[in-house]
Amino acid sequence: MRLPRSPLLWIGLVLVLVQVGVAVAAPWIAPYDPLQQTILARMRPPGAPYWFGTDNFGRDVLSRVLHGYRSSLAVSAASVMGALLVGGSLGVIAAYYRGWTDRIVMRVMDVLFAFPIILLAIGIIAVLGPRTGTTAVAIGIVYVPIFARLLRGPALVLAESEFVQAAKVLGVSDVGIMLGHIVPNLASVILVQASLSLSTAILVEASLSFLGIGTQPPTPSLGLMLAESRAFLLISPWPSVFSGAAILLAAFGFNLLGDALRDTLDPRLRGRD
Amino acid sequence: MFLRSLRTAAAAASLAVLLMGSASAQTLEIATDASPSGLDPHLATAFATILINGNIYEGLTAIDTDLRTVPALATEWTVTDEGKTYTFKLRPNVAFHNGKVMTSADVAASVRRVVNPQTGSPLASRFVVIDTVETPDAGTVVLRLKEPAAPLLSQLASLAVLPAEPGVDLGRQTVGTGPFRLTQWVPDTFLMLEKHAAYWEAGLPKLGALKFNIVPDATARQVGLAGGTYHLIPVVEPAIAQTLQGRPGVQVQNTQDLAYTLIGINTTKPPFDNPAVREAINTAVDRSQIVQAVLFGRGEPGGPLSPGLKDWAVPTSEFPCYRPDAAKARQLLQGAGVTLPLKVTMNVIGSLPLAVESSQVVQAQMNQAGFEVTLNVQEQGRFIQDWRASNFEVFASLNGGGVDPDDYLYRTFRTGGSTNVFKYSDPQLDALLDRARSTADMGQRQALYRQAQQALACRGPIAHLTYSTLFAAHRQNVEGFTVMPTRSTRSLRSASLR
Amino acid sequence: MLRLILDRAVDLLVVLFGVSVVAFLMIRLIPGDAVQIMLGANAAVTEEAMAALRARLGLDQPMIVQYLSWIGGVLRGDLGTSIWTGKPVLEEILDRIGVTAELLVLSLGFAVILAVPAGSLMAYVRGGAADQIVRVITIAGVTMPGFWLGTLLIYGFYAWAPAWPAVGWVPIGQDPAGHFQRMLLPTLALGLPILASLSRIVRSAMLDALGQDYVRTARAKGVPERTVVLRHALRNALIPFVTAVGITAGYLFGGTIVVEQVFALPGLGRLVIGAIAERNYPLIQATILLVTTGFVVINFVVDLLYLVIDPRTRGGG
Repeated sequence: MRLPRSPLLWIGLVLVLVQVGVAVAAPWIAPYDPLQQTILARMRPPGAPYWFGTDNFGRDVLSRVLHGYRSSLAVSAASVMGALLVGGSLGVIAAYYRGWTDRIVMRVMDVLFAFPIILLAIGIIAVLGPRTGTTAVAIGIVYVPIFARLLRGPALVLAESEFVQAAKVLGVSDVGIMLGHIVPNLASVILVQASLSLSTAILVEASLSFLGIGTQPPTPSLGLMLAESRAFLLISPWPSVFSGAAILLAAFGFNLLGDALRDTLDPRLRGRD
Repeated sequence: MFLRSLRTAAAAASLAVLLMGSASAQTLEIATDASPSGLDPHLATAFATILINGNIYEGLTAIDTDLRTVPALATEWTVTDEGKTYTFKLRPNVAFHNGKVMTSADVAASVRRVVNPQTGSPLASRFVVIDTVETPDAGTVVLRLKEPAAPLLSQLASLAVLPAEPGVDLGRQTVGTGPFRLTQWVPDTFLMLEKHAAYWEAGLPKLGALKFNIVPDATARQVGLAGGTYHLIPVVEPAIAQTLQGRPGVQVQNTQDLAYTLIGINTTKPPFDNPAVREAINTAVDRSQIVQAVLFGRGEPGGPLSPGLKDWAVPTSEFPCYRPDAAKARQLLQGAGVTLPLKVTMNVIGSLPLAVESSQVVQAQMNQAGFEVTLNVQEQGRFIQDWRASNFEVFASLNGGGVDPDDYLYRTFRTGGSTNVFKYSDPQLDALLDRARSTADMGQRQALYRQAQQALACRGPIAHLTYSTLFAAHRQNVEGFTVMPTRSTRSLRSASLR
Repeated sequence: MLRLILDRAVDLLVVLFGVSVVAFLMIRLIPGDAVQIMLGANAAVTEEAMAALRARLGLDQPMIVQYLSWIGGVLRGDLGTSIWTGKPVLEEILDRIGVTAELLVLSLGFAVILAVPAGSLMAYVRGGAADQIVRVITIAGVTMPGFWLGTLLIYGFYAWAPAWPAVGWVPIGQDPAGHFQRMLLPTLALGLPILASLSRIVRSAMLDALGQDYVRTARAKGVPERTVVLRHALRNALIPFVTAVGITAGYLFGGTIVVEQVFALPGLGRLVIGAIAERNYPLIQATILLVTTGFVVINFVVDLLYLVIDPRTRGGG
């Protein structure tokens, strides 16, 4: 494959890689424990030794942002992975077997898809109780029908294709065909949608935290930090500014990457936002 | 001379009437955070309800800004029979919002409704001491008690007088004697209270209407006040108060709050049945840090009674465990035979920012002292259910306080008390509380409550954290509003807009 | 064709049934006893009082009985009675739906009106540095959390126009100017991200259309560029755009929940959040059912339109 020219792709890729790196390395590169409170040094503006300042409990904002990346990206990644596995499999299975399987699976997906994202997540969290893991499950369930619908279409085409028919004649098992012949050909669709979904998952996590039902304190998640620090915006803007910027940058990076990937990998996909 | 001053007074009065005429059309726009879930004054006791109902309903007595008991629907009373008989003279010509005149029959019916177990009133425990209610004539009510009850007069302020036959569903509609009457309630949006034209105190209320706007977001309330959309925020978070202070056109008031943050401890769950472990929690907590971090320095550490109750509260300097000492807390735990670190799950009521923020400071402090605290921030409904069922190890919450020590201490710490969810039981304390309740002499009661506070401060089922300064903010053209420790907005009856 | 439409209609009914079951179950699975919460935390409430209330609300019946009596009522147009106010649920929803509908229409209208010229322009300047910059800006717009944008707008207006009524709500009949002043910021907070995403859709749809044969033919014939873009490309680009608007309208409801909370607007979002906190079963069920039904029906109609407009989609089930 030739190297794509698009500068946006590279910018997106670098943004994502840097932020994922930060998230993974947070425990080692954060200068302080993100939960350690130094009450006497509260609401400091940026400057040594607190480069992003401190919050209302005197916690180091830089350390909290770094760890915030960790939990926000973990929640987003877990939810998108889960949704991709469950929703993607359902979509491919529905497309492969067609008929009643298709109909039942897709109607169940339609039911889930009918709920507004935030409302469905609120309901799921209300049932499961607000915990970090629950947030990931809730966002994941919300994304299941999106992946199922998205992969079913191209999988339908692939299931009819000559090489799949040939594999059937050769006696390859159904699972073998789906995993060996259909899924690999869906890679570009999956890659693009996963990247875009990661971007929105970060935003949904932030919105749920704003409503008080996402990640729970004192765990540093970017959305929770932003929601908590809003009240102090006029007397101590720095925690809001840095956590807000971090969310924007994270969601922006994944979205840019997904967008540019879509242009590069498959021009036909353009327009299906 | 006398005549002239009389004439001046009359002129002033007629001028006042004129001014009032112009003010009567005015609506005070109030921004508050939570919608009341129900309005029955005998059933709903949440802050959100009291804020509204305080302007609609009245009791025989009222509590003034200095926390003194003053006459309201009763003009005077006498106490006889060694403190067991209270005779109230009712204020004449008091009209309910439905036009009927209040009589002793209405008062008697209201008292009976509260104490009737079928009503399920949370106020009932305050009044179970009442044996019979008599109405010798339409303007007199006699309460005969089973035993003397010193706090009765102040507690009667919380017993709203309703018509004997209200004729409306009290959860959703109101019919009181107060200065304002509810005319419209759009849930989660606003409650409109209009002037009660036949209010018993001449010249009051001065405002034409109160509009309680439900604004859940603190930022929106703050900007709404600063920009002039709202006139008054009756309860302001300390951080927001700091932001609002000094804004043009805005005035911030404060007083000592009776409400307090607390860590509740379940004494049936080992090792918290051991008083030494409870003392370790108290010793681990550094209250002055909580004051700094959560209350922005505007508040103070408190014991079982609010420092606002100047006649009753024992200074916290007398409680040895109020000197924070992580090492000592650790020793106490080890002495109790606990393996360190002691894992604790702390339920936190998620709907109250003060509780959520305090719990985070406490968590950090306890973790320095041999505990390993996990915070379990809960949605309000879930928290309340666990709380009622005593389904917790420890919890962090915010409680409203009363003006008389008996009210809080008895129901919270007495064996079998109505809010003793800690299952705390101490026969010596029970005896103290029983005696204090039936003693009328102020000096003796003070001595008894002093002992009770000392018994509870370090080894009781509650680690009392802080009493905050209570802030209210309003536009500078609002006159006559005073923020009260009880969070009552009763002063709105004499408030006006310039 | 008719067979296809019938098929889709059956699917629609099946989905609506599923939605009603989920809406019914979701709220009953939420931990915390509604009766307990209704009677209050401090109440020394007796078991009898709780049982009586439970019976009054029908909560003592088996789930299946509760569901059947609820859905039976819904089919007869009776959505139940709100636990707190005692008013018919339908009345409560109708009281609030206007605010949400207005917010949706305003923000969607704002986004749609601006998205077409913005997207066309973006498609027209495609490939240059300007294109890349605009693209970055629109992506940033899409990735802005609604509550954060709302907060920044509130503070921004407070800094520049302190007297502007940024929060709260007044009925339009009472104060028309004040009404729309207060709707401005919520509309922007909800509409800006939609504008960003819709204009990107217009851009790619336009690019697709501009690459089609008939456009090339028109160009080759010497038809002026303006006419090419406006007449030929735009009209064809509108099909995916309309689909996107249909789906967006459903998604927007999630956004209004957050925006109504930030700006203290008395809409359906506030109603449903409050109802969940209070365990107001009939109200929650009805609101969820209504919102999801609206979404499903809108997309059903869009699907049908697609069948009519674009014969290629008739193949797939």
